[in-house]
Amino acid sequence: MLGIYVHIPFCESKCNYCAFASFVQKKEIQKKYFKFLIDEINNFNLASDSIVDSIFIGGGTPSCVDVCYIETIMSAIKNKFKILKDAEITIEANPNSLNLEKLKIYRKLGINRLSIGVQSLNNNQLKKIGRMHNKKQVFDALKFAKKAGFENINCDFLLGLENSNYFKIKNMLRKIKNKVTHFSCYMLQVENGTLLEKMCKEKKIVLPDEDKTVKIYEKISNYLQKKKFFRYEISNFAKEGYQCLHNIKYWRRDNYLGFGLSAHSLFNNKRWANASIFDDYFKNKKPYEELLTNQQIIEEIIMLGLRCEIGFNKKQILDLGYDIEKNENFNNLINKNILIEKGDIIKTNPKYYGVSNYIISSIL
Amino acid sequence: MDRKDKIRNFCIVAHIDHGKSTLADRLIEKTGTLAKRDMQDQLLDSMELEREKGITIKLTPTRMLYEFEGEEYELNLIDTPGHVDFTYEVSRSLAACEGAILIVDASQGVEAQTLANAYLAIDNNLEILPVINKIDLPSARPEEVKKEIEDVVGIPAMHAPCISAKDGTNIDEVLKMIVKEFPAPKGDENEKLKCLIFDSYYDNFKGAICLIRVFDGTVKVGDKIKMMQTGKVYDVNEVGIFVPNTKSTGVLKAGDVGYLACSIKTIQDVCVGDTITDANNPIETALPGYKKVQPVVFCGIFPVDGAKYQELKDALEKLKLNDASLQYEPEVSQALGFGFRCGFLGLLHLEIISERLEREFNLDIITTAPGVYYLVHKTNGEVLKLSNPSSLPSPVEIDYIEEPMVKANIFTPPEYVGAIMELCQEKRGIYKGLTYLEKKRVRVDYTLPLGEIIYDFFDSLKSRTKGYASFDYEMADFERSDLVRVDILLNGEKCDALSIIVHKDKAYSRGRALTEKLKKIIPRQLFEVPIQAAIGNKIIARETVSAMRKDVLAKCYGGDITRKRKLLEKQKEGKKRMRKIGSVEIPSEAFMSILKLDDGDK
Repeated sequence: MLGIYVHIPFCESKCNYCAFASFVQKKEIQKKYFKFLIDEINNFNLASDSIVDSIFIGGGTPSCVDVCYIETIMSAIKNKFKILKDAEITIEANPNSLNLEKLKIYRKLGINRLSIGVQSLNNNQLKKIGRMHNKKQVFDALKFAKKAGFENINCDFLLGLENSNYFKIKNMLRKIKNKVTHFSCYMLQVENGTLLEKMCKEKKIVLPDEDKTVKIYEKISNYLQKKKFFRYEISNFAKEGYQCLHNIKYWRRDNYLGFGLSAHSLFNNKRWANASIFDDYFKNKKPYEELLTNQQIIEEIIMLGLRCEIGFNKKQILDLGYDIEKNENFNNLINKNILIEKGDIIKTNPKYYGVSNYIISSIL
Repeated sequence: MDRKDKIRNFCIVAHIDHGKSTLADRLIEKTGTLAKRDMQDQLLDSMELEREKGITIKLTPTRMLYEFEGEEYELNLIDTPGHVDFTYEVSRSLAACEGAILIVDASQGVEAQTLANAYLAIDNNLEILPVINKIDLPSARPEEVKKEIEDVVGIPAMHAPCISAKDGTNIDEVLKMIVKEFPAPKGDENEKLKCLIFDSYYDNFKGAICLIRVFDGTVKVGDKIKMMQTGKVYDVNEVGIFVPNTKSTGVLKAGDVGYLACSIKTIQDVCVGDTITDANNPIETALPGYKKVQPVVFCGIFPVDGAKYQELKDALEKLKLNDASLQYEPEVSQALGFGFRCGFLGLLHLEIISERLEREFNLDIITTAPGVYYLVHKTNGEVLKLSNPSSLPSPVEIDYIEEPMVKANIFTPPEYVGAIMELCQEKRGIYKGLTYLEKKRVRVDYTLPLGEIIYDFFDSLKSRTKGYASFDYEMADFERSDLVRVDILLNGEKCDALSIIVHKDKAYSRGRALTEKLKKIIPRQLFEVPIQAAIGNKIIARETVSAMRKDVLAKCYGGDITRKRKLLEKQKEGKKRMRKIGSVEIPSEAFMSILKLDDGDK
């Protein structure tokens, strides 16, 4: 089975905290980009006999570009690959760029999962981080989505915004929890070179300290689980049967192909990425390409597995030559119940998800 | 004219930065000892570190030939270190000379080490030639400085050459004065052999090399010699001079300065200050030699990677080859594993050794807080001499403790006297006196505990006097003092490498500063880590490193896991530099943090 990721690097405006490859561009660039993107898919000559069971159109804001581009992308993929009948096909969207008509077309194209960048329901907070939408538009978007026939909907939320506390966030989630099947909750990161970083330095925005945000995160995580949103990965919560198949591929190291600017791929233990600058992308430069070593594979299995509910299999890495039971730190973590052992499967105790980097680096 | 009459043995002494090495360079250049193309700045400072820091650490002798009134003279120059830590090296070189050039900076005038070094030279019965340097500076005031030398040092200076070593002005005059003013060496080359070893270094091919001054007799290749102190006998393989690299001459006679190699396997067999004589025809009484130097500052040195213990040991051995004053003995710390307790002449010496270990031997090391040694009088009458805080007996067994004191004299413009007295008072100093040397120069005398000086006395002095004060000290007696050990507990477990001995009145503030500092350095862990400072069982300060809550809740986008991998790589690297105290991981920098405790904590 194969996953496909398509990157749409365009937005109506750049959010203050965003450090991803996304640009506010004129129509001509978009035209050139999509032409190139379609060529990239058409000319791809690997894995054409694989069956695709997940497609993820991410960005940027895929919903802000003309819907005809999405249409051409979908048909290019369908021409190139065999797609499973009930494959999971996701598109990312901003509340303000969704309308009923657009959503209906998405459905017609076979898109069956919607991932909406809600981030917050507080208009002041939204404005402060440079989002273009407001609370009303979120509810409108959810209403349209239902009308268009979307049943599988994710909302992204950002924790750690200015003036937020547990009750405020819980209230937001409560208001929409019955309209969605999936939540992704991230902690706001102040990345280098972003406007947010500048604002923080100039004290134009005062973010709550990390400890406070982590406490909120833990409480929110408990709340969601009580409401039957099951935490299957550090930042992802889903109703039974609604985990994001495409996301899971990343953690399980299944094969996935990325098309478009800065898209990453993993295919049979080879990783590569497209350029993240338009000019380089148009020249077909591949800034990164690597056949993973045995050691790297082991490390990835542990690192990615411990981020998720599925964990990793001891036997699998033993077969690759790493006997983790001989690692003293590993045994300590098991004894302290920080890692949980169930047969051959090792998982992180969900209480310690937050510090999994620390845990992982101590056993690699 | 006798052969010896054409030899002059001399050294250059001065306060640090007054231009010793620059003058040495000019003398070498002027006498044509080295072609100009072979010259490099600070020629005699051969260590990379010496050049970088602009200080001389090792003695380096050079023979120069100089023609004066139709006669060729042999001038043996021994460059000396200027820093107070290395006074000992200066005194060694003085014993090999008949004269000393005393350089004084034309704008700064007489400084603390000018005086200290001048007195050393006088004690060694040397002829002193004052030289006023840096007359090229706009702020130069040579005439005043001459008067200052006469008034403060008490030697005639009116005819002192005024030079600029940097520009090469008046160097010839210095050379002439050397020949005219300094006496020729005495001694008889036909007498029984009598040489002084004034320094030694280790050569990978030739073994330990002795730097010698021949007082009587002749030594040549093939001779059987005897070291009088160790009683060992050797065959001489090579004798020669420094030009400034070694040059074999086959023979050295009374009055000469040079080197001697005789396949001595270990440097420990060469005792600096020892007398060399003819094994078959020995003299009866040895030269007075030197007082054996005693280290005054101590610290633990441990390898960051415990497996490198042997490498550290080898490196220290090698450094010891060229540095008789470095002392070390094995030490085991619960926190840091196997390492060494090392003794140094001072903080600069400590800094230099640890830097050399890192640079020249490529070792990652952890140094613990420097301390002094104490005399601990136990209630059972036993007296312990110890420098390691963790070996201090429990308070009930201690009758009293004595700590080493120093006599410090500080030279300063009068406007800073107040600031200096305040500083000395803070450092538990005892005021001894104040002398006006001239209108703009005051000498302040204090007795201070050495333990206080090694923290940040020098830096504080410089910053409080805008760099105008200079400082020199000599070791004085031990004095009884109210000292306690402050221990640091991490998560309830004592970390021996972080213990310090301090005066009772300062225990609380030090303890607090230390816990605060450690809180900043120790990274957050999976659990809360209390950091406590304690005297015995009594907790005097506490800080807490709260548990780590989060490190990953960021988005992992579009399947890009390379960023995550890089982050993990970084974390893995960081772990290697961590030490485990019980269940707490602390970075190796923490152990050095005590050194810098007073930064910004005032």
